[in-house]
Amino acid sequence: MSLSLTNLRQSVPSPWSSIRSLPSNFPSQLPFTSAVGGGRPLVSSRTQTLRLRCLSALTPELKTTLDKVVTSEKVVLFMKGTKDFPQCGFSNNVVQILKSLNAPFETINILENELLRQGLKEYSSWPTFPQLYIDGEFFGGCDIVIEAYQSGELQELLERALLS
Amino acid sequence: MGVTKEQVESSLRSKLSPSHLDVVDTSGGCGASFAVEIVSDQFEGKRLLERHRMVNAALVEEMKDIHALSITKALTPEQQLKKQQESEKSQVAI
Repeated sequence: MSLSLTNLRQSVPSPWSSIRSLPSNFPSQLPFTSAVGGGRPLVSSRTQTLRLRCLSALTPELKTTLDKVVTSEKVVLFMKGTKDFPQCGFSNNVVQILKSLNAPFETINILENELLRQGLKEYSSWPTFPQLYIDGEFFGGCDIVIEAYQSGELQELLERALLS
Repeated sequence: MGVTKEQVESSLRSKLSPSHLDVVDTSGGCGASFAVEIVSDQFEGKRLLERHRMVNAALVEEMKDIHALSITKALTPEQQLKKQQESEKSQVAI
């Protein structure tokens, strides 16, 4: 299993590297940043975010990136904080469940990038975090993960996904 | 700024006509966090994810000010009845 995951990661390095480097270079890739700022230098990322919120946060570029990210690993968790340091009880619940099932999973800290955070809400049509993706498909938030874990459905689905 | 339990209840009632609804304000007073238990025949034939999406959609305005929404139950009346019978049975068994 670890071998195949390593291969998987090597075969699709681009979305991960782009997401990982998001905080420094991501906003500059957005075509409408300067238009929204009216040509003036943006005061801070906070101001920028507030302005962008009026528009759709899910740009075609972000959508393409997310399409790649959610399929780059079998299990991808968008959460507050990291696997080792969750910064929200709901995110922590999902991390602990996935860990207890020994499922390999990648996490992305949405607190590090406000644009990603807003864009993902639209991308998944889901208003809150955490958001779990299995096999490239949105599986659910914390409540759904807990319920599926208790019913055994999550274990089944993960086994199937990890074997495929 | 915050949302009241009554607002959440009235939106859910008008959009999902639940046969059972229990909304608990879990925010400790600021109105930013709620737990919802809901039974509605509109959930018939829908997967859990779709049911949660329906609840989220019914609360789309409120969600702007709610930070955490926990949907602890989203059942059809039939499932609710079954659960009640099961728990009664297990109590009898004890």
